[in-house]
Amino acid sequence: MTTLLATPAGWPQILLARARKAAPVGSPGSATATGPFAGLRIAIERLGPEGTIRAIEQSGLRGRGGAGFPTGTKWRKAAATEASRRYVVANGYGADPAVSIDQVLMERDPFGLLEGVAIAAYAIGASEAVIAVRAEYAEAARGLEAAILAAEAAGFLGADILSSGVDLTVTVRTVQGAYMLGEETVLLKALEGKRGQPEQRPPHPAERGMFGQPTVVQNIATLIAVPWILVNGAEAWRAIGTPDAPGTVLVQVSGAAANGIAEVPTGTTLAQIIDLAGGVVPGRRVKAVLVGGPSGGLLPATALDTPYDFGPLRAAGAHVGSGSIVVADERTCVVDLARLLTAFCADEACGKTIPCRIGTRRIAEIGDRVTSGRPRPTDLQLLADLSHDVVASALCDHERLATLPYASAMRYFRSELDDHVLRSSCPAGVCRPIAVAGVAAGY
Amino acid sequence: MTDLAIRPRATLDPLAHAETLLDTQAPQRPTATPRIRIEVDGRVVEGLEGQTILEVCRDNGIEIPTLCYEPKLPGFGACRMCVVEVEGEEHPPISCSRACEDGMKVQTQTEEVRRLRRTNLELIFSDHNAYCLPPCQNKCPSHIDIPGFLKQNAEANWRESVRIFKRTIPFPSVLGRVCPAPCEEHCRRDEVDEAIAIRDSHRYAGDQVIRAMLNENVDPPVPFEVQPRSGRRIAVIGSGPAGATAAYYLLIAGHDVTIFERDPMPGGMLRYGIPQYRLPKVEVLEAEYEGIVRLGGRFVTNQGLGRDFTLDDLQNQGFDAVCVAIGCYDTNKLGIPGEDGTGVIDGLDYLRTATLGLEYPGHAGSRVVVIGGGFTSMDCTRTSVRLGAAEVTLVYRRDMKDMPASDEVHEAIEEGATAIFQAGPVRIVTDATNTVTGVEFIRMKLGEPDASGRRRPEPAPGTEFTIPCDRVLLAIGQGPDLTWIGPGSDGPKASKQRRLVADAVTFETGRPGVFGTGDVRIGAATVVQAIAEGRRAAYAVDAYVKGLDLAAIRTRQTLAEPQPEFLSIVPFTSEIKEPRIRLKKMEAEARNRSYIEYEIPYTRAEAVAESTRCLQCTCEAIGFCDLRRLGIEYGTTLATLEPHHNSGAGYRSVTENRFTGYNHDYIRDDSHAFILREPSRCIDCGRCAQVCSEVVGAACYDFMRIGFDTLVTTPLDMSLNDTPCVSCGRCAETCPTGALMPKPRVLQKYEVDESRCILCGICVDACPYDALRDSTEFELSHESRAEPMIDLLSYSAVNQETEVTYIRRERDWAERAMADGRLLDTGRLLPMLPASIANGNGNGHGNGHAHDHGGAGATAGRHK
Repeated sequence: MTTLLATPAGWPQILLARARKAAPVGSPGSATATGPFAGLRIAIERLGPEGTIRAIEQSGLRGRGGAGFPTGTKWRKAAATEASRRYVVANGYGADPAVSIDQVLMERDPFGLLEGVAIAAYAIGASEAVIAVRAEYAEAARGLEAAILAAEAAGFLGADILSSGVDLTVTVRTVQGAYMLGEETVLLKALEGKRGQPEQRPPHPAERGMFGQPTVVQNIATLIAVPWILVNGAEAWRAIGTPDAPGTVLVQVSGAAANGIAEVPTGTTLAQIIDLAGGVVPGRRVKAVLVGGPSGGLLPATALDTPYDFGPLRAAGAHVGSGSIVVADERTCVVDLARLLTAFCADEACGKTIPCRIGTRRIAEIGDRVTSGRPRPTDLQLLADLSHDVVASALCDHERLATLPYASAMRYFRSELDDHVLRSSCPAGVCRPIAVAGVAAGY
Repeated sequence: MTDLAIRPRATLDPLAHAETLLDTQAPQRPTATPRIRIEVDGRVVEGLEGQTILEVCRDNGIEIPTLCYEPKLPGFGACRMCVVEVEGEEHPPISCSRACEDGMKVQTQTEEVRRLRRTNLELIFSDHNAYCLPPCQNKCPSHIDIPGFLKQNAEANWRESVRIFKRTIPFPSVLGRVCPAPCEEHCRRDEVDEAIAIRDSHRYAGDQVIRAMLNENVDPPVPFEVQPRSGRRIAVIGSGPAGATAAYYLLIAGHDVTIFERDPMPGGMLRYGIPQYRLPKVEVLEAEYEGIVRLGGRFVTNQGLGRDFTLDDLQNQGFDAVCVAIGCYDTNKLGIPGEDGTGVIDGLDYLRTATLGLEYPGHAGSRVVVIGGGFTSMDCTRTSVRLGAAEVTLVYRRDMKDMPASDEVHEAIEEGATAIFQAGPVRIVTDATNTVTGVEFIRMKLGEPDASGRRRPEPAPGTEFTIPCDRVLLAIGQGPDLTWIGPGSDGPKASKQRRLVADAVTFETGRPGVFGTGDVRIGAATVVQAIAEGRRAAYAVDAYVKGLDLAAIRTRQTLAEPQPEFLSIVPFTSEIKEPRIRLKKMEAEARNRSYIEYEIPYTRAEAVAESTRCLQCTCEAIGFCDLRRLGIEYGTTLATLEPHHNSGAGYRSVTENRFTGYNHDYIRDDSHAFILREPSRCIDCGRCAQVCSEVVGAACYDFMRIGFDTLVTTPLDMSLNDTPCVSCGRCAETCPTGALMPKPRVLQKYEVDESRCILCGICVDACPYDALRDSTEFELSHESRAEPMIDLLSYSAVNQETEVTYIRRERDWAERAMADGRLLDTGRLLPMLPASIANGNGNGHGNGHAHDHGGAGATAGRHK
């Protein structure tokens, strides 16, 4: 069971507020602190669809799925696109194997999620919503099914919700397959019953998504934030965190620190977050932090004062991604870690585009060569050139981000990379045997 | 708790969305769609709102490369080749799925997008475990379709074989005798046992066509459809291989061609440089040149450029273009003392007489030294033997393996000549009357390799020696006679190396309408190189007289000419070892007095057998492959291959470039009757999968597996026979490479026997091209027991097969099969027999021979 990390008193408790309470499934009465489905009630009775979208826009809420797209803008686009039907999809695939944020939220706060889904559907005029749950999260799927039935019985979902004349059917769909399903267009393909492969954007799913209809795809945490914003007001949300991406985010720390999920305001530094998990294991020190999941960036200890926020992380060479922060101590070889991550991304590619299918594989092969002591003299240049071209002709974020581990390793750990390439030695002693001219050297 | 089953009322039923699906899959745009204008590469073009950038560009004739775009379907965006730059956008979008907006500014050929395309192509090639041309075709200067004509040879279609040959070289029989056959050195069959006798094979086919022409007056085949008369007049100067070839293809292009020849008979070096015993003049040379006359070509002989007419004369006479192909006839000088002595003879002058088998004055009985190592020196040596010279010595300054004509040396020695290597002439010894009495040579050491890759000979002091002789034949290379250009010419120019200056692709000289081709442009070369020059020049001249832009031709020709960079060796090890059938030769004693061809041609059976040995190691998609076309255009593998290109170390593979790494080698699927699958050539564009599911509706293919191992294939890689394939061939049609190919098949017309048709309608459903349709007429079916379709009683009366007759029939069959050797394992007969017989009538032979019922034919047992 994943630990929910305690945060200092005074830090806002929004996304995890209800998840911290026991016995989530039951009656919708326990759904919110301020009354059952209070946010939905406010949207329907006070704001109306347009007002709801405006409230979300004003809050500055950005999607917690990693890309940080403004949620209000997405909703407005979907609402403005002419169509016979629209969809809301909650992306509960939780692709990153090191992160269980989605699972925890769905298991412990199903009503919060349902309320967010209902508000989004009401705002854009969708009468069907799908919660895509990774098939392994059987408990979450069962809980959500039960919660939907309970909410329907209470009149919050189904026909004529809250006597507003609006219908909403929410379905739980279990999906299983691959890492790529975390990508929104891939998930939509899978929900259509096709092979999960991304689509070219634009048009974004908000204009043409599932079955060609406007579809709002949101991360679980984003949807859980929505009711809170409507209940407490956009200003309350804006007051938290950085002005660029206000509110709180969920992060999961793992690696050479206690594994746990924490809710922090945006702008909290990486060092602060690691401290929430009790800091690095005693006797070890931070060598690198992998921020953003398997396709994240490897930041050095000197970059620990980077604020956890979309813009600064991008600038530092990482990204929010899945919310994962993996701490690597000095026993880790960064070159080998980057190789492992790139190989993972290459193996999980859906195989649609050339730069992704072959390009990421070739980057992983460069990693293989470098870590096994058989680099070609041009390998580092090739790595840089290929990474650049893969990013430039990428179809989806997967291939763009798959270049990040090595790109950030080149940026922050160049000397360690040079040790491998030029001197055939691994300072951390991980890569072995490093073979030189066919002879195992060193060990 | 509820279970995980999805409740029916909440499903997203695809059928409910059928209309939307149709809408997304086949965008039907009404003609009233508003028009928009965008700027592409600085040019304003018009399109319809909602069209993609790619569609608008295609409609306006602007080419954007793509590998995965299928016009019938919406853009897929897998190959990333159609990337373009749009002003004001950070990431270059993909033009196949990006809708146009009014006023958009698009750049299709910037350095950035071209680099991205090149990277993509390199990535594709790094996992493209295939090759394009077979090495023989690649190494042929004229790039003849060698597997093509060998295949026809193997089926004894000599005429079709020659037609294929003539697409690139008009003279199969001539080349079948004089070509040095660079193709055979690179034949892949060599890896199995021995290279195919490619030259001897087209020689045989060419001879059959000549025979049919001479004996039965059958016109030789023409490779392409002869175009209607264009009314353009073209003068070709020189009737050697280059000139005659240029004339041949210009005639097919519909032009009026006149060929001017300095000598009394056409043929150039073929007639006056190559001896009769290698190339019979009347039977072969004239017979093949007859093809030019039959196409309407006119030879004007005894007319030399600069001697009897000038370029001005020709242009004043109204020739629209002049093609100069006068070859190389000026023998180089040695530059040593005594070279002007009596008895020192220009090898070419000598050959003009000797090649025709005529007596050269004073040659019989004399001692002859031939200096040089090329084809001319060999011809001088061997004709001197035939002319009765007392002693013939060939001297060459390099080693034998460096000789261009090394093959012939053994034959010359067999015939009685002497060959000395690594010796260079120092001076020619003359007596008081300035008559030759001998040649002084010096031994040569071989130093470092020079530009040609051969080791440079260096004189070793103190090793001089003299060969006494009466005559010296100089054959140390030739250059063209360019005196006709004249000093201060503002038109054609001579280069420092004494060549006519002309472009390598457009063949233009400095003067408009005058083209230069063949040896006069490249220096003395082989016949096949001259012919390749002539053919390519014909394209350029044709384009010029049609008024086309020659700069554009340059690009087009560069693309059309196969490039040698796409090769890999794929070992073929399962072939049966079957050595090459060699041409037999006359005995040396017989041939050294004779001008008759000394090689004895193949018999028909030998020719077929030899051609059958060809592995046909070519890609079937050659000429249709988009990947190859783009690879050539973007020079994808060139940079990495060039350093080793001429090293002679063999070929580098297609997959070798800067990204070389692991690549897939899939198994060819030959199981389907009409469609050949070669997954190693697949680039995963997904076009077949899309067309098959969205257009045909069969859905035989899809992306399978994940990551680098993703492959567009059938489920579980099963045979196409096990999929819902309707054999429509659209997958092969849309495949941009040779991964899916229609198999060659005989087109068959089908008849419907209506008396047997049960009107099931399956054919109507299955036909992918709507060749059969439902009609509005129908009839109700009925059933009548009074008239059974088959009279069961009479049927049983006819077929009174009992167990005894059955066994007898089986036994007879078995006997015949044993006798023919078709049946080896008699144990396999058992399951065919009724169980009662097999068990009950062992007859002491055991179970395996139960069919020896009655002892009437116990052969099977004996044969075991």
